[in-house]
Amino acid sequence: MQHEYSKTNEVVHNKNVPFSNKFKKILDPKWIMILLPIAFILITTFIPMVNLFKLSVVDENGFTMKYLSQVFTQKIYLQVIFLTLKIALLVTLSCLVLSYPISYFIVKLKSPKLKKVILQLIMIPFWISLLVRSFSWIVILQDQGVINSILKSLGLINKPIPLLFNTTGVLIGMTHVLLPYMILNVYSTMEGIDRNLVQVAQGMGAKPTRAFWEMFFPLSVPGILSGSMLVFILALGYFITPSLLGGAKDMTISMLIQNNISNTLNWSLASALALVLFLITLLLLGGLLFLMRNHPALKED
Amino acid sequence: MKKIMTGIISLALLLNLTGCGNSSNKTAAEAPKELVVVDWGGNYTDVSKKSRYEPFEKKYNVKIKIVSPTDYGKFKAMVQSGNVEWDAVNVDADFAIRGAKDNLFEKLDYNVIKTDGVDKKFISEYGIGSETFAVAISYNTDTFTESNHPKTWSDVWDTKKFPGARSFQKFAEGTLEAALLADGVEPAKLFPLDIDRAFASLDKIKPSVKSWWTAGAQAPQLLASGELTVAAAWSGRVLAAKTQGSPENVEYNQALIYADSWVVAKGSPNKDLAMKFINFCTTAETQAEFSKLVDYAPTNAKALPLLSEELKKRLGQSTSSATQIVADVQWWADNYEAVDERFQKWLLK
Repeated sequence: MQHEYSKTNEVVHNKNVPFSNKFKKILDPKWIMILLPIAFILITTFIPMVNLFKLSVVDENGFTMKYLSQVFTQKIYLQVIFLTLKIALLVTLSCLVLSYPISYFIVKLKSPKLKKVILQLIMIPFWISLLVRSFSWIVILQDQGVINSILKSLGLINKPIPLLFNTTGVLIGMTHVLLPYMILNVYSTMEGIDRNLVQVAQGMGAKPTRAFWEMFFPLSVPGILSGSMLVFILALGYFITPSLLGGAKDMTISMLIQNNISNTLNWSLASALALVLFLITLLLLGGLLFLMRNHPALKED
Repeated sequence: MKKIMTGIISLALLLNLTGCGNSSNKTAAEAPKELVVVDWGGNYTDVSKKSRYEPFEKKYNVKIKIVSPTDYGKFKAMVQSGNVEWDAVNVDADFAIRGAKDNLFEKLDYNVIKTDGVDKKFISEYGIGSETFAVAISYNTDTFTESNHPKTWSDVWDTKKFPGARSFQKFAEGTLEAALLADGVEPAKLFPLDIDRAFASLDKIKPSVKSWWTAGAQAPQLLASGELTVAAAWSGRVLAAKTQGSPENVEYNQALIYADSWVVAKGSPNKDLAMKFINFCTTAETQAEFSKLVDYAPTNAKALPLLSEELKKRLGQSTSSATQIVADVQWWADNYEAVDERFQKWLLK
């Protein structure tokens, strides 16, 4: 099998072989088995997306730019986009700050059984529906809820702390939901770091703190990057959690899109908003990858 | 060997396919017809099952498949793609008019659907009123008593006399009317709504509005836990919670009356059966059964004599000091989009 692959490879990449011969090699069943599923995924993903985005420039009267210009000129939409990005960024940061120590702790554990148990515990939220989790947060965070009742009975506060129906509630709820994604990403990268390197650094005379920052941390950056990207993109699309836990001001772009699809039935506007969200996401990702293009973390060894 | 195996497998698959084709013929004669009915879910579905769906199923030998909740986006997508799965759909009365502009409904067959007893207000080309519900002042009974509670929308706006957190539906319909009534507009002069005045009035109450509810169960739940002291909520839901022991109650004075309507999806696979179903739900008997189980009033006036005096009083249908205001559905159908956009902007301020 290995032998045949490298033979095909040589044929395909060899400039002197005529094209028709290369083509015959690709039609080999092995390649078709990969190409067919990929084509299926591309077609079923991109064609509906293109149809959706087409709606943003077409309505009953034909081609029009009025929906896209509405999104960019009316203050409310820019406000909402900015708010969505802000919430997504804050959620990513809080996930990062919480997950890094946890992942490090798991990596440092000596017994593999304990590691497995803790990882399973982290995965448990995935088994519970998102709606149930969001409603549970209402019970915990509300003014008569668990947290405020405990603090009140301990005498630490007189008035309940507003933890719900504002941005704080949204952040807490979303961080809780997205934390496992971040932990798994960061942990899997950390697990792959050779522990001996840190010992070597210490052996060369570095203090433990310095050894950590200059040896361990840079090697964990790929995990941080991939985890952050995943959490950020997921957070951009959330609308149930902000809708249930947030106040009037916590309006994310997904909530506006949903309102236009289900209530006003203004699908052209919804599509224009979706297109803008999509482009912003691409821009941010592309920008991030471009800035880090020379970072050793991105170069594969 | 391989060729024989392939041959056997493909033969087996072929037989399977032909087998599938024949099964429908033999059971068609005895099988009950199917009807897909879409409603709002939760308590509404439970009550409808007892008073409407099960009696209809028995009488006409039909199997009703219930889908909930009604999703307007899904509705439009279904009709536009030509892949309609819904038959009779329960919608907001103003949507029965709005959706007609998008060509989403079949014209109702008034030869099948008898409308004597139903107020003309509730009848339109594409929809007929199924029941009326009230957006009413609801309050927590641990905080406010029978004698001392907000009795008008102005009371709801008075945060000194009736302190505590409020909640309104994240929906312009109902909220703007309440704001105008609180500002002193006379009920008879409510429509067409003075939008600027409504939003100015809403500005006054906004700091006290803790949450804007989107699901019918949210307001009663928050009232029960004491998170809210006053809310504008659907009367039926609050009263259902009350009968289960929650400390909350409804004040019918200045309640805003809206209707739900039955419509038939355009391209529905069981159009004629859907018309029969809607006729069944419009009869006085069915409407009376429905109102006995949940505090929504019938649209067929002939159903009222079938209800007890106590129930009529609870529904606010008897002449008492309570004054209720019926919303102008046509105005909302015409102005919904523009008003909603302004409402979303206002929420963000």
